[in-house]
Amino acid sequence: MKKKIVKVLAVLLAIAVVVGTFAACSSKSSNDGEEKAPTQETVKIGVLVADVSGEEALSFRNYYENYIAKNYPVELIYTEKLEDAAGEKAAIEKFASQGCKAIISLSSSDRALQIETCEANKLYYAVASGMLDDEQYEQYKANEYFVGQIGPSMMTEYQAGYDMGKYFADKGVKSIAMYGAFIPNPMHVYRAAGVIAGIGATYGGASDMGAIVGQIFGDQGVDLSKVQANGVEIVSYFQGYSDTTTDELNAAIQANPDAFISVGMATTFFAQQLNTAGIEYSDIDSFTSTNGDLMKDGKLVYLVGKYSSSIGPIFAAVLDTVNGNAIKDADGNAISISQDYLVATSSEDFTKLQSLDSVENPIFNKEVLDTVIGEVSYDDFKAFVEKDRV
Amino acid sequence: MSNQNTKTGKHIAKNIFGTLAIPVLVALVLEAICLSQGKNIITNLTSFNNFVIYTAITMITTMALSINLNSGRFDFSLGSMALLSSVISAKLTYAILGGSTGSAIVMLVICIVAGAIIGLISGILYVSLKLPPIITSLGVTLIFEGVIYTITGGKYVMAEVQNKSMASFGGTWIYACVLIVLVLAFTILVFDHTKFGYDYNALKNGQKVAVNTGVKEIANAVICYAICGALMGIVGFLNTVRNTNINGGQLNFTSIGIMFTAFLPMFIGGYISRFSNEKLGFFLAALCMSMLNSTFAVFSNKVNASMQSIINAVLLVVFLIYLNNEGLLQKIFKPVKKQPKKELE
Repeated sequence: MKKKIVKVLAVLLAIAVVVGTFAACSSKSSNDGEEKAPTQETVKIGVLVADVSGEEALSFRNYYENYIAKNYPVELIYTEKLEDAAGEKAAIEKFASQGCKAIISLSSSDRALQIETCEANKLYYAVASGMLDDEQYEQYKANEYFVGQIGPSMMTEYQAGYDMGKYFADKGVKSIAMYGAFIPNPMHVYRAAGVIAGIGATYGGASDMGAIVGQIFGDQGVDLSKVQANGVEIVSYFQGYSDTTTDELNAAIQANPDAFISVGMATTFFAQQLNTAGIEYSDIDSFTSTNGDLMKDGKLVYLVGKYSSSIGPIFAAVLDTVNGNAIKDADGNAISISQDYLVATSSEDFTKLQSLDSVENPIFNKEVLDTVIGEVSYDDFKAFVEKDRV
Repeated sequence: MSNQNTKTGKHIAKNIFGTLAIPVLVALVLEAICLSQGKNIITNLTSFNNFVIYTAITMITTMALSINLNSGRFDFSLGSMALLSSVISAKLTYAILGGSTGSAIVMLVICIVAGAIIGLISGILYVSLKLPPIITSLGVTLIFEGVIYTITGGKYVMAEVQNKSMASFGGTWIYACVLIVLVLAFTILVFDHTKFGYDYNALKNGQKVAVNTGVKEIANAVICYAICGALMGIVGFLNTVRNTNINGGQLNFTSIGIMFTAFLPMFIGGYISRFSNEKLGFFLAALCMSMLNSTFAVFSNKVNASMQSIINAVLLVVFLIYLNNEGLLQKIFKPVKKQPKKELE
């Protein structure tokens, strides 16, 4: 009898392992579907992804998979959803064993560890659509494997949150519910700090960016007991996404706020509930068609976003580095260039901005990117990224 | 005759009191707590909608859990059944209707059918393998979670379940209320008024005796699993309506959490069933849990999610301590009757 039990258990375990393996391979195999033309040597680049479902993440992936990978001799390999620093480290090591030459990171659990792991595995590393905090950048800017970072700077993140909060304060709302997304992710911390300042409130008695940001980092979230309202009250606050989030969202809706301000991911997670509840909301996300519909037919009234191909320049910088044309500033440091957000407050705004960038005809298309692929100076590259293309 | 009538009247009054004592007490205590902050358990129509949907989810999960647990079969796979049935039905419904009118009702029906089939598979595995149910259910949970991951690629299922039809289902308490009534009627009918139900109760109260008298325990167990699956299909649907997405990345037993919400109401319902129907007990227990959930919502800025989990766990432990020491408490609080001297002599 015991032998039988052992056998059956072994079979069950084997089935679980096989199913798990299929699961793990499923998304990777979808990336491997497209074969590159054998004429040029294909460069393998690993992409670290923390979010596999969000509108912004999907639009970025769509651009890389359906435009970049079709126009350049590269193979982009994606991770599954990365939830912590250990997962990021393991993913980089796996990419190294798969023959990747570089890593583009859209995951931010521990970027310092990502750089160190890349260095240990001799992989070039770049941050897309985000930035290290200033202290970390100073520490790693001279690292030969650190290609650089292109995305909204922390100051830009703060300003985006500030403008969003001010928009509602100017509109005359008296109460808001607030979603802090994935604080202590630095960009969410800065955005949340901006929102608090934007609605005219203080946090722990402070009203300047540095002091608010420092306290939110320390609290690992927004502690409502420290918020001193000045016209606009925050009646509910929650962050993260887990089994309890629906309860927290329901509690926020029940508090009957005039508006719901999110520093990220609300259009992905909460659009339907907020539309049903009839609460106007804002978010920092991207200019996708789903968000366009939410702006047209739903209650999304303020959208701060990046466009899909805004991650094109960092790809160009990575490809240049892999091909031996690393772009460094005058002091020989990794590039660090800030990108601004776009803002839509009406469906018309949205349509206008969205029409400028699509997978078929992105803002950073091949013709544009080719101008910086090859030998290019830091100043020319910086001007290329910062040029207003909207 | 009048003596008997008085006795019957007392008996009915005792049952009514026993049935309603806990829900009424919970309502009074929680409302008092809310009023102390100038608020109510139910603040507006939105909170009432949430209240009824949460009641439906808790009641149906509790029923599904108790069906097998009362017969000594601990089933860890309930959460994965709910998820898998909802993922399958979301994908199928979207493929058929593309999110248009009627999506919610079609998804509900497919959820129930898929859940019943998944439950049936789980039941057949249990009776075929002849392993302890706890081990079988752990293996089945892993397999179901793996299948979910394979179907979804570990992503949230969103586009398939975010449409006007689903939004209107979740935007009112009426549909959830209808589901509560239908499930209550179905379970009371099946488990209390059919041959299957009599057999189930016989097996529950004494398996050997029941089997010796001709009850077919294997068929009964498999049907129980199928019914559990169908009920968890409804739970999967209601959770999808409530969350507006399905988490397709639940591996390594993370789906078990869905089941654990039902333990406290199951014990409360079991206590209430001493005075009335067990299924009605589960409904009233679910009402209590929903009132607690709504109270947490009122205090969400002060009582965070982890604190709520701790409060729930403490309540469960306290209630179990009470149940296990009921006799002792009665002894302490019951006045000792002096026995007549004669008897002592």
